[in-house]
Amino acid sequence: MSTPVEPLLSLRGLCKYFPVYGRGFRQKEIGLIKAVDDVSIDLLPGESFGLVGESGSGKTTMARCILRALAPTAGEVWFRLPDGRTVDLVKLTDRELKPIRQHAQMVFQDPFSSLNPRMNVRDIVGEPLVIHGLAAGAELDDRVSEVLRRVGLQPEHRSRYPHAFSGGQRQRIGIARALIMRPSLIVCDEATSALDVSVQAQVLDLLKELQREFQLTYLFVAHNLEVVRNFCDRVAVMRKGRIVELAPAKQIFSAPQHAYTKILLSAVPSPDPDVRMNFNVGEELAKLDAAG
Amino acid sequence: MIPVAPPSPESLLEVKNLKVSFFTSDGVVDAVQDVSFEIRRGQTLALVGESGSGKSVTAYSILRLVQSPGRILGGRIVLRSRREGDIDIAQLDEDSGLLFKVRGGLVSMIFQEPMTALSPVHSIGSQVAEAILVHQVVSAAAARRLTIEMLKKVGITHPAQRFDQYPHELSGGMRQRVVIAMALVCQPELLIADEPTTALDVTIQAQILGLIKNLQHEFGCSVLLITHDFGVVAQMADEVAVMHRGQIVERGSVREVLRNPQHAHTRALLDALPSRRGSPV
Repeated sequence: MSTPVEPLLSLRGLCKYFPVYGRGFRQKEIGLIKAVDDVSIDLLPGESFGLVGESGSGKTTMARCILRALAPTAGEVWFRLPDGRTVDLVKLTDRELKPIRQHAQMVFQDPFSSLNPRMNVRDIVGEPLVIHGLAAGAELDDRVSEVLRRVGLQPEHRSRYPHAFSGGQRQRIGIARALIMRPSLIVCDEATSALDVSVQAQVLDLLKELQREFQLTYLFVAHNLEVVRNFCDRVAVMRKGRIVELAPAKQIFSAPQHAYTKILLSAVPSPDPDVRMNFNVGEELAKLDAAG
Repeated sequence: MIPVAPPSPESLLEVKNLKVSFFTSDGVVDAVQDVSFEIRRGQTLALVGESGSGKSVTAYSILRLVQSPGRILGGRIVLRSRREGDIDIAQLDEDSGLLFKVRGGLVSMIFQEPMTALSPVHSIGSQVAEAILVHQVVSAAAARRLTIEMLKKVGITHPAQRFDQYPHELSGGMRQRVVIAMALVCQPELLIADEPTTALDVTIQAQILGLIKNLQHEFGCSVLLITHDFGVVAQMADEVAVMHRGQIVERGSVREVLRNPQHAHTRALLDALPSRRGSPV
């Protein structure tokens, strides 16, 4: 990139600590879990930024802190609004935050538990517009139909309930719900992990198309390294709350620098029978821990 | 009908023309239609396919665990057991002693989600010991000793202390190790692994797959591995059968099928792999 681009999202020293309480009656605080520990990254407009790591590495906590679904312990989350202003989401009150939330949306992992089974598709997808008071009546209906069509669902199905849809279709409903707000940032937390490979490929293709059409920026949280490799422009590898390596996706996979990234990559079962995977990652990770 | 090859002398399990249907209120679903395959002694067969392709129903049929409204309508499931001779599992009576021996004794199974395979209200040690007590005539003390030995084999540290812990005190990877201990403690001739690592992180997956490989070698059992991940297939299996809509559409050695897939559905599945998409080969 030759011309400097203003980041859409800038994290500065983001921390989220959870207290650990003792077993006794007094519930004394006996320690802290540093789920996110001093993370500073920039997301550029229009890019897909991958965040990979094992479960417990803090990636979901970090994603939730960005959207203020969790209150960070410390640090700043600078977000650029469509009008060009930048605001620190951490400092905003809930009232100040509400109008800003429409610009940053989330797509969840489990298409079965993230959709209310007692709401039909029109209400699920249209709810964000209602909450923000952006549309009602016929206009609401039109916008729901339009976004459903855009994610590859039939608008005629909008009076159906989630149980009538397959996993891939439900994930499209989740995407429609995020997209209807015309956000600039979408956080995808393991958005394709629960899907079969062929369905996963279709949903990833859809996300790519939507990105081009609406100039979306994705924070793509995933544990599947292969998905991140092809979907993302840049990738951050997270371990124990910290970013251990951040590089363009191609580089992370072809020339990983950090010992942990190398171990992580070696553990992926290759579909080529002649490329043997590393079954010994347990010992190697233990060695890495011992080395500090 | 697909002609069935003459049984190889070293085959352990031969499934021939298996048919399973589900009689639902919305009509009959033919989940498994005329499926035939065999598993050789000491080898691993991977059964691949998408959700709904019938791979799990096929596996459940081998233990006769297909539940109502599902029914095995036809076919043979012949286990050539060293201990009990040839058994056609499909023909066994529901309450026969032989079927009891097959389930958990000669053939055992590990499931995708270790939390559902383990009872939350029994200690992990007692659950492994129960498998021993059900199938072998040993004292409780001997079962405890065997259990601790087995827990050690599956890589659980301090097995004597862990014996009395409960599943919720263990991580997902550790729970899956307990499930594997439970499955292998009676030294089955066939181990069915239904998506054993789908719920796990890559680093834990690598360790569990390595463990299954090592124990398979040590105990000399065959493995039927059910998965949707061609990476796992390539690293673990000798042969692979691809299922689609209740039928096996392609079968062969892993190298053959992955290098030179013949059936359009196999090619489509391989092309959908993230590692093969968009990257110049």
